Amino acid sequence: MSWITLDKINELKEKFEFIQINENEKGFHSVELPKENLKQFLRFLKDDPDYSFKMFIDWTIIDHGAKAEPRFQGVLILFSPEYKERIIIKTWATDETLPTLTDIWPGAKWAEREAWDMFGIKFDGHKNLVRMFLWETYPYHPLRKDFPLKGHQEVELPSLNEKERMDQLEGLQNYSRMHTALPTLEDLEITQKKRMPNKKSQVVLNWGPLHPGTHGTIWFLFDMESEYVQDCDIIIGQLHRGVEKIAENLNVQQILPYTDRMDYIASMNENHSVCVAAEKLLGIHEKIPPKAKYIRTMLAELSRINSHLLWLGTYALDLGALTMFLYTFREREKIMDIFEGITGARFTINYFRVGGVYADLPYGALDAIEHFIKDFPTRLSDYENLLTRNRIWLKRNVDVGVITEQDVYDYGLTGAVARAAGVPYDLRIIDKYDAYSEVEFDVPVGEKGDSYDRYLVRIEEMKQSSRIVQQCIDKLRKMSKNDPFFFEPEDKKMKITIDGRGTKLFKGEVYAGADNPRGELGVYIYMPKDGIKPYRFRLRSGAFYNLQIFPKLMIGRPIADAITILSTIDPVVGETDR
Amino acid sequence: MGIKKVGLNRNIQPQSLTEKIFFLDFMKGLRTTIKHLFKKVITVDFPFELVEPAPRFRGIHGLRNVDGTEKDDFQAWVKKLKIKPPEMGETRCIACKFCQAACPVPEIFVIKADKLDVPEDHPHHGLKVMTQFDMDLSKCMFCGLCTLACPTICIIHTDVYDLSAYTRRGCVLDKETLSKIADDFVARRGKEKYDEKSQWPDWQKIWDDADKARAKAWDNNPPKLGPNYADQQ
Ligand code: SF4
Ligand code: SF4
Repeated sequence: MSWITLDKINELKEKFEFIQINENEKGFHSVELPKENLKQFLRFLKDDPDYSFKMFIDWTIIDHGAKAEPRFQGVLILFSPEYKERIIIKTWATDETLPTLTDIWPGAKWAEREAWDMFGIKFDGHKNLVRMFLWETYPYHPLRKDFPLKGHQEVELPSLNEKERMDQLEGLQNYSRMHTALPTLEDLEITQKKRMPNKKSQVVLNWGPLHPGTHGTIWFLFDMESEYVQDCDIIIGQLHRGVEKIAENLNVQQILPYTDRMDYIASMNENHSVCVAAEKLLGIHEKIPPKAKYIRTMLAELSRINSHLLWLGTYALDLGALTMFLYTFREREKIMDIFEGITGARFTINYFRVGGVYADLPYGALDAIEHFIKDFPTRLSDYENLLTRNRIWLKRNVDVGVITEQDVYDYGLTGAVARAAGVPYDLRIIDKYDAYSEVEFDVPVGEKGDSYDRYLVRIEEMKQSSRIVQQCIDKLRKMSKNDPFFFEPEDKKMKITIDGRGTKLFKGEVYAGADNPRGELGVYIYMPKDGIKPYRFRLRSGAFYNLQIFPKLMIGRPIADAITILSTIDPVVGETDR
Repeated sequence: MGIKKVGLNRNIQPQSLTEKIFFLDFMKGLRTTIKHLFKKVITVDFPFELVEPAPRFRGIHGLRNVDGTEKDDFQAWVKKLKIKPPEMGETRCIACKFCQAACPVPEIFVIKADKLDVPEDHPHHGLKVMTQFDMDLSKCMFCGLCTLACPTICIIHTDVYDLSAYTRRGCVLDKETLSKIADDFVARRGKEKYDEKSQWPDWQKIWDDADKARAKAWDNNPPKLGPNYADQQ
């Protein structure tokens, strides 16, 4: 498992007396230390060749409830690319403040803003600590435990309420007249000013939130000198639905349909992350029936192809190649048909379960997938004929938006964005979850980290995915129809059901996830005691952290590159905003 | 398992001079698009032509009635919950509210069961019937958890996907409507989806392979469906 060993932690303890070791029986050990010593310790971890926890993964908060003293705890997750290990570092946020980590990892910037937004934790030394998702004048911090699930309903919005011939329709599960706070135009103006306090030049161009090129609802601010961008900022949150808050009030199988609605283009993979994490928390991930493992691996890879096809189509469309869009959607249609037949839904799939999948494959499923996979390489070469060496394509992509290896570590970039920069960071290889240890595939890595490399990496990923799918089909064909597809616990204490009722999580904490088409979706679950609802359910979104590098890449570039860079970073707003 | 390096000059050659002068890259692209010009149409002409949803499709819910294909433990469940034993054609719902408990959005359901108003010597004295079952499908996310929780396979997903209504009230379906939807669905497609005990059989197909519209979307070359596993017929 890709986690720091106890021996190594104990060596740390010898060097630093102030740290306290939390042993975890599942192996997810963490260290705890006072916040005064945090930075010194982190600098050591980052620079020491024996540890070299260079890569930033996540930085978030746990609220231990209004009565606890101290109440808030910071949780930092780091990864060491050399040793392929992770570590969790915890520290108490006394007086609701923590030191900023932005000077060690610039990628902590958005994480800290999110922590401020959601928990009201201040970070000493953070340059512009503004909210991440909500507007500036919003008075609450919604992920605090004392914030009610339904919010404070304080604005009257009769228009939401239904009227028919001027009659109020009472009863009938109508909506309440009162609504939670909504931003007004002034609020948005204040927000915009705060996000970009110093204008450098004459024009600030607002791009989005409703622009087809932004692939969702992202609001960009470009401070422009003629055609060149001097400064750039992003306002996200228009699609923020509080998935983490909702998840903390549901059982784990019920969370899965909500994750469908995060990265709605690869919902299969989102489900996968939650399943893997919860299974690791319960300690049953190794015991999942092989049939379920292969089905999950196969469908997750099909979903990756599906997602990359949408990316390729819209990316080419944005750069002016309409034909590609039509071609890739033709292939997507087939994958969606397969998903519909197997899972019952084309888009918001909810097929994976903690413990396996909810039903066996229907008759003919493997034939349909095999038919698609056999046909797919010729289609892919059609795409490549159109694009790969086309001169316009080369001009628009080569040397645009160069991401270096250092950026990958500093900003916690994952997925194809990291791999194109030459970092072979792939959870499928590092964690070897599900059947990934038993299938053969290559991880494509780029050279320069420009947009063109990201394009090539994703094209190659599609080829590798079809390789994996074919191997899974061959394995599944040899199995029996009576093999189980869902885990039956022997342990009496454990209860896992397909429909979710009564599914229990165990005490402990876990950080695990899956490699999604848009980067690593990590799930951090913290359980102070056994229970049904996760106490803290953190979703570390790959798209969110990947998007963070966008302003850096845009500075000094002409505005037309915004499309290319955004498309090759490929965020999906459902996941960045959660 | 290895690492494959990609990049310009690695696995992709930059454009050569001849390519640049003679626009060979454009020619190659044009060849691909012209090839497609002579292919058959693949778009489905909705609404004149409809793709039949897969048997597993998670569409609007229905409430199944008793039709002789209940699970073996159906009577036991009826007894356990003190429900009046349903006759043929009456609902299978035993008002156990398991569906509501499994649902991530429990406000969707309003389920009520009332005691029968019968004299004391009547055999149904003290037994209940389900009297109200409203579902507000505008809040539903069609995740399928309720159908998996139902012990009597009463609540099911049908293949109806059109839930348009002029008012929000139109999305609230009551028990009569839900029963009608299920009856209609079972009559049309029940044989494809359920076996004689209302379970999903292993011969349940991924989709109906005789569907012409779906074949079109598969480039007029749909896959031939066969068994998945070594020991499947
Ligand atoms: S499909 Fe899901 S959301 Fe809809 S009623 Fe059933 S359990 Fe609830
Ligand atoms: S689970 Fe089934 S039987 Fe129970 S209340 Fe719901 S529909 Fe009725």
